Amino acid sequence: MSGRARARSRGRARGQETAAPGMVRPVSREKNVFVAEYTQIGCDELFFLTAVLQISAGFQQVKLGERGGRRRDFNDVGINTRRAMEHVKDSKLGTSGSPIPLTANFFRIMSRPEWVLYQYHVDFNPPMEARRLRSALLYQHKDVLGPADSFDGALLFLPNRLAQKETVLHSETRNGEKVQITVTMTNELPPTSPVCIQFYNILFRRILRILDMQQIGRNYYNPNDPLDIPKHSLTIWPGYTTTILKYETSIMLCTDVSHKVLRSETVLDFMANLRQKCGNQRFPEICAKELVGLIVLTKYNNKTYRIDEIAWDHTPNNTFTRGDKDISFKDYYKMQYNLDIVDVNQVLLVSQVKRLGPATAPPPGPAMLIPELCFLTGLTDKMRADYMIMKDLSTHTRLDPMAREGRLNRFVRNIHKNPDARAELDKWGLSFDKQLLSLTGRVLPAERLFQGSRSYDYRPSEAEWSREMRGLPLISAPPLENWLFLTTRRTSTEAQALLQSLNRVSGPLNIRIQRPVMIEYEDHQESLLRTLQQNVGPQTQMVVVVLPSNRKDKYDSVKKYLCVDCPTPSQCVVGRTLSKPSSLMTVATKIALQLACKMGGELWSVEIPLKQLMIVGIDCYHDTVAGKRSIGALVASLNQGMTRWFSKCVFQHRGQEIMDGLKMALCAALKDYLKFNNYLPSRIIVYRDGVGDGQLHSVVNYEVAQIIESIKSMGHDYVPRLSVVVVKKRINSRFFAQMDGKVSNPPPGTVVDSEVTRPEWYDFYIVSQAVRSGSVSPTHYNVVYDTSGLKPDHMQRLTYKLCHMYYNWQGIVRVPAPCQYAHKLAFLVGQSIHREPNVKLDELLFYL
Amino acid sequence: MDPMFSPALHRQRHEFVIDFVRSYKPKKVVDLGCSECSLLKQLKFHLEIELLAGVDIDGAILKKKMCGLAPLSTDYLQPRNDQLRIDLYQGSVTQKDARLIGFDLVTSIELIEHLTLADVKLFSEVVFGYMTPVAVIVSTPNADFNPLFRRMSGFRHSDHKFEWSRAEFKSWALKVCLDYGYEVEFSGVGQAPPGYQENVGFCSQIGVFHRLGVSEVCNTLCSTDAEDVSSYTLLYSKIFPSLRDNNILRRVLASEVLYWAEKLGRRWVEEKTGVKDDADTPDQAGGDGEERHRAPENPLQLEEKQTAACGAAMKSLVEHQEVGKLDRELFWTDGGGQQESRKLGRRRRSRFRGQWVCRRHAVPPQC
Repeated sequence: MSGRARARSRGRARGQETAAPGMVRPVSREKNVFVAEYTQIGCDELFFLTAVLQISAGFQQVKLGERGGRRRDFNDVGINTRRAMEHVKDSKLGTSGSPIPLTANFFRIMSRPEWVLYQYHVDFNPPMEARRLRSALLYQHKDVLGPADSFDGALLFLPNRLAQKETVLHSETRNGEKVQITVTMTNELPPTSPVCIQFYNILFRRILRILDMQQIGRNYYNPNDPLDIPKHSLTIWPGYTTTILKYETSIMLCTDVSHKVLRSETVLDFMANLRQKCGNQRFPEICAKELVGLIVLTKYNNKTYRIDEIAWDHTPNNTFTRGDKDISFKDYYKMQYNLDIVDVNQVLLVSQVKRLGPATAPPPGPAMLIPELCFLTGLTDKMRADYMIMKDLSTHTRLDPMAREGRLNRFVRNIHKNPDARAELDKWGLSFDKQLLSLTGRVLPAERLFQGSRSYDYRPSEAEWSREMRGLPLISAPPLENWLFLTTRRTSTEAQALLQSLNRVSGPLNIRIQRPVMIEYEDHQESLLRTLQQNVGPQTQMVVVVLPSNRKDKYDSVKKYLCVDCPTPSQCVVGRTLSKPSSLMTVATKIALQLACKMGGELWSVEIPLKQLMIVGIDCYHDTVAGKRSIGALVASLNQGMTRWFSKCVFQHRGQEIMDGLKMALCAALKDYLKFNNYLPSRIIVYRDGVGDGQLHSVVNYEVAQIIESIKSMGHDYVPRLSVVVVKKRINSRFFAQMDGKVSNPPPGTVVDSEVTRPEWYDFYIVSQAVRSGSVSPTHYNVVYDTSGLKPDHMQRLTYKLCHMYYNWQGIVRVPAPCQYAHKLAFLVGQSIHREPNVKLDELLFYL
Repeated sequence: MDPMFSPALHRQRHEFVIDFVRSYKPKKVVDLGCSECSLLKQLKFHLEIELLAGVDIDGAILKKKMCGLAPLSTDYLQPRNDQLRIDLYQGSVTQKDARLIGFDLVTSIELIEHLTLADVKLFSEVVFGYMTPVAVIVSTPNADFNPLFRRMSGFRHSDHKFEWSRAEFKSWALKVCLDYGYEVEFSGVGQAPPGYQENVGFCSQIGVFHRLGVSEVCNTLCSTDAEDVSSYTLLYSKIFPSLRDNNILRRVLASEVLYWAEKLGRRWVEEKTGVKDDADTPDQAGGDGEERHRAPENPLQLEEKQTAACGAAMKSLVEHQEVGKLDRELFWTDGGGQQESRKLGRRRRSRFRGQWVCRRHAVPPQC
């Protein structure tokens, strides 16, 4: 595996790649060797297909790179996991459930029958050095070659076949030199070949440019129709994500509506505002926290840069070496782009430029950016946490199925209507379907929920059972005898109200709650911590803290102390939640349920027919602020009913695979399972979440082997059946159902395992959750390793069942419960605790 | 190509043009033989230019490069004040096209040496006689300089039809001036090594032509040649977003005004209640002293409008305040302020906090 792939598998989020382990960062700040970026991406250069084409019969990893650059494979093409699994070779279709007609955001790409892309090799005699001259010479033969061609200096792609295998052409340079050009056909590429598919993608991007769209990151946006939110000085550009791939039966364009949030202010404006708000003293710290990790656009090129640090000791008057002269940034931008830098005292931003171009070239140094010339894109964490901003944004960006479908249709209509775009497509003999793809999915039957001897159904359309479980006793809940109840003086009325309601709701739920020890604490972080230290003992079962505000530091210090130093389950409640009498009972019920499962109680279960089964969920959290550490969490089931879980989380250290740490965690989980059941599981199913685009390769090639190895370490004769399923939430596929003549979301439990899946994978989509507003997004499951022999139908059903088992929500969630638990654990550790929780908590869902 | 020059010679030639643009501030510029459009790419950053055109005989190369001239994303985020249109034509400089009449500057950088002498004649006629720009910059290799290139025989480029000595260039230029009513200054880029400058001159010789009697001749000339010739093919035409576009102006203005109204309102509330945001956004350090204008390069009148609008917003706020508490509450919810005052906007605020808490306690279905 390459270093790059390894970094990816460690779970770095997109666009924040760090140097490969052991690689020395070329930061030479003393010498002022900086890259001054000045070239603008000429989009059409993408069209030059330079590539060392390694075409073979199978789906090998074929790269058709753009000129000078290396393209990352975001679509995980070329990973063929299905052929290794005997039982799904012929069919990966499930059977149960009732069929439902759906449409998906896919458009078929149609080409002429027996359409083939012809690849030719072009030779010049006498040899010509200049690439420009080569294409100029070849262009003289438009009549022979036809209007459409793509030539990079050596390889020529044409949609038509030349009369002979070898065509000899004669050209003349302007000064009369005779040149013989030999065009030899080297390959016939069928529409499904990887090169062709990359070719389609390049062609399609070209069409988006023709439609006047701007590329930002990987997607294209329409700048002519912006939505302004002046209140927050935000601008939203509507756009589309597009991918063309070979799906199950045909090549299709998958396109989804996407929105780009841009700031109509420069970074300098942003910094000035921030300084005004927070004062000079705290400014550097807060500024770094807010800006680092953000992506900026510049006024002089179309590139995006990620801010990696702020150079507090640099101003635009600093110089860098250009050619053999030193030039200041201020002068450079004036000379090169006629851009005046008004504020010469601003500090500069540093962006580590990713290495492009040939691997042998020296890595570029960091790029220095001028805040005045940069515009922010996207949202900061602080803005994300701001309810008002998110609400204003969601009114623009959250589209219901009807609106979304309408936009997609309009998009494809626009392509069909635009004459230039059509001409480009016609030239290559390609066209798109005008309609969204229709396909048939299946709706799995609703599950029956069990609570001890009682059982009930929920309303399938709502995917939620808080009403149905009202008044039903839980499967089991440890009695709450010795517990603390902390509150400030200010929140004491709310606290009392909560306590009363808890007593009222706990009876029917069959949770026995004794009177707690009530403690009042001063509204300081230190005082709160002191109170905890003085009162929490080894016998304490639970600590409930009523916080006066949603300030993170207090929450963090409670969690840190009670998860690491003094392992005790704890529950924090913000006073304001309790202030509304009308919702108090609902809140109290939720808190009671949470208290119960944090102490090891079991709330409900669904029927899981497989015996001796262990389900494992893995997710990661990327801590971008604190030293870019990543945290991996593993959660494994301990019993038949999937009601008890073992949780472990590990820190990923620099230069280490996330799986290296999780290997130990998996062993610990297996040992705990043995202790719990007196036998080891005969089946293990691992749901791996947190795999980014283009990282599948490393899961398949590295992580599966690691999992097998750690299972082996339990004993030589222990060979359980193993399945590894990669779970992906962030995908562009969308499904629409027709309900009462209206476009709507597909109902929960909709499974799609045909048409839009990939032929080389054993994969399926499940829409498990229900949403109240907007379009539901399906979850993609890709079984990359499977020795279980489970039928696809059983795999789908089991996965759907597991989505019912998340105890923090009385309803169905998007991913199997262990994944959601793992996410929750990793998030808590990454956000608040920053250390490994105490082992005594391993068997409890303390992080809910 | 020539390591003996720093910066590279082609860059020096472009810089020469750009320096000219800086001092003369032409509004309409056309680059003949623009080829890869690299000069145009640099010129589009010069805000005084309103029409930028490029002509090349090789349409294929223009098609390949034209996307690079498109507006940047940030051009949309912060539209320029004056309009800019970029046109690319495929055509020969030996032919006339009415669309190129009346430019302020025509550049022909290293172009004429690729023409036959007969075509150069046509070129002079088209450029100076027909297009009649205010100024022309013509650059061409200086043959006197060639001996300094060791190991070079023939011309600098295989496609060159001729390379003129300084004297030849001068005689052509002076003839042009005489025929079409221009005056010329000779210059160049690419300094020879010390001691040679006198004998060989610059590596690239440049003639800068100015039309005589600019003010009075202009209109008459244009009108006499009114025959509508269009021998060039327009390959690309792009209008940059600018405040001259009414829709854009309206949008930018509206969002500026709303932004400032919002900001002033928030400050007003702060001053009125004397309470600042909580620790996440602590005290304002310098007060209002160093208020920044968000778009310093916006024209003055825009700023005036801004402040006027802000004043109006302020006034209406004061009125609101008099109407009573209800409006204050209304205002609050928009401002999103998080003061500790209990009376104001309590209902809204609790909803805001409530949301946060819910997220921590119960995971809502993800959407």
